[in-house]
Amino acid sequence: MRKPLVQPYPKDWFLRTRAYRLFMLRELTSVCIAGYLVFMLWWLYQLGKGDTESFRSLLSIAKHPVSIGLHTIALIAAAWHSITWFNLTPLVMPMRIGEDRVPNVVIAIAMGYGPWLAVSGFILWATLR
Amino acid sequence: MSHLTKTNEAFWWSLFSAGGVMAALFLPVMIFVTGFVLPFMMGEDVESQRDRMVSLVTFWPVRIALFGIIFLSSFHCAHRIRHVLMDFGLRWAGVALMICCYGAAAAGAVAAGLILVRL
Amino acid sequence: MPEQTITLDVFRYRPDEDERSTIQSYDVPYYEHWVILDALNWIKDHVDGTLSFRWSCRMGVCGSCGMMINGDPKLTCAAFLKDYFPRAIRVEPLVNFPVERDLVIVMDDFMSKLTSVKPWLIRDDTRPMEEELLQSPSQLAAYKQFSMCINCLLCYAACPELDGDPDFLGPAAIALAHRYNLDSRDQGTAERQDILGAEEGVWGCALVGECTAVCPKNVDPAGAIQQAKVAVTKDWYKRLLLPWGKR
Ligand code: SF4
Ligand code: FES
Repeated sequence: MRKPLVQPYPKDWFLRTRAYRLFMLRELTSVCIAGYLVFMLWWLYQLGKGDTESFRSLLSIAKHPVSIGLHTIALIAAAWHSITWFNLTPLVMPMRIGEDRVPNVVIAIAMGYGPWLAVSGFILWATLR
Repeated sequence: MSHLTKTNEAFWWSLFSAGGVMAALFLPVMIFVTGFVLPFMMGEDVESQRDRMVSLVTFWPVRIALFGIIFLSSFHCAHRIRHVLMDFGLRWAGVALMICCYGAAAAGAVAAGLILVRL
Repeated sequence: MPEQTITLDVFRYRPDEDERSTIQSYDVPYYEHWVILDALNWIKDHVDGTLSFRWSCRMGVCGSCGMMINGDPKLTCAAFLKDYFPRAIRVEPLVNFPVERDLVIVMDDFMSKLTSVKPWLIRDDTRPMEEELLQSPSQLAAYKQFSMCINCLLCYAACPELDGDPDFLGPAAIALAHRYNLDSRDQGTAERQDILGAEEGVWGCALVGECTAVCPKNVDPAGAIQQAKVAVTKDWYKRLLLPWGKR
């Protein structure tokens, strides 16, 4: 007679191996990014008021150590999101030329890192010029 | 493996993916700009700083781009957070979880639209 | 017997006697060229004939010897003792499956998942059997990687999402569905799309990526699932925008 045993699966699986922890880290970048998006809304709202006083308060908040700390965290999370996203691009959209697969690095650079560099450079130029 | 559940996950996933691309391309540099360029790298003259920022952000193509970035990135985050919460054991919350996550993203997108139009 | 031995802590479950599983330790001769499967066979031959486990080819082809080794899914015919020596090795059945007995898992559910994706060439014409369906090398290359699966189920044991939704089709079954969808001779994509596009299909996946990492045959099931997501999504929009059109 069959009597299969069902093993319980650990509820804390995402802490168990390095790969699972890295996965969770990648997924949790979304929390930091969501937080930044909320800040972005407030920032645009504040900028939209247009008067020098609200802009001054915007600036003084931006110079506050808490803002610097939170921005640093958000920047690391967002960059980690970018890196993991670009690295996974060849998995989602592989390309072939005839029988050969286009190497993953080529896809990641052409569709991820390259445009990333261009966009970042352009925006920095536009704000600093 | 006996039943199949119909789902519109394809729609949410397409928003998630588009938002993932947007966030990956734009957010790091935007965070750098609001967090470091604006307070520390744009000189001391507050008036000219403000004028430059305002003229940059009110340029219509920039408004539209910002709306696209915020709208799609919000849904990207909403989808990921929903799946993280499912992984944390909230799978039973099903539709309620979807409403919370995507509802928040939609609210953010509407707010972004209003703010950007009135800039 | 060589001077050196290595300890195997083996998961035991005897359905006729046990309510729960136990761990039994065996001291096994240590040879550099032995794999864990050799050690298990030595136990079965010399110490305890009741120890049950599946194996056949001993060369990474049949896919029947997959077990959890120190918590990682591995083919035991390809996992050498020397990579663990001198520490003890924990040998357990693959997780995410019910245990039939000792290291033998129940595969029924996987089998029905596998057949549910219709893993065969579907044609809507009725051509005579003797007529060949030609395929160019690049058409073959389009799906070949996804056809290398040996159903060892290491990818199922590596997938945490299967715990949340046991009905999730899972890596190997989706990779196989994708393999047929990519086959230039196949015309069954629309038939498979209903199951791939269901909640139990590709949407059970959050791209943890461990299925691809543990696959001994380099099948890349994680890639197959993401590519199937893209295909299913295109199909969803097509149906939305052209509800009257043929899919
Ligand atoms: S996809 Fe790889 S890991 Fe999964 S069953 Fe097939 S051969 Fe094994
Ligand atoms: S015994 Fe056949 S794959 Fe290991």
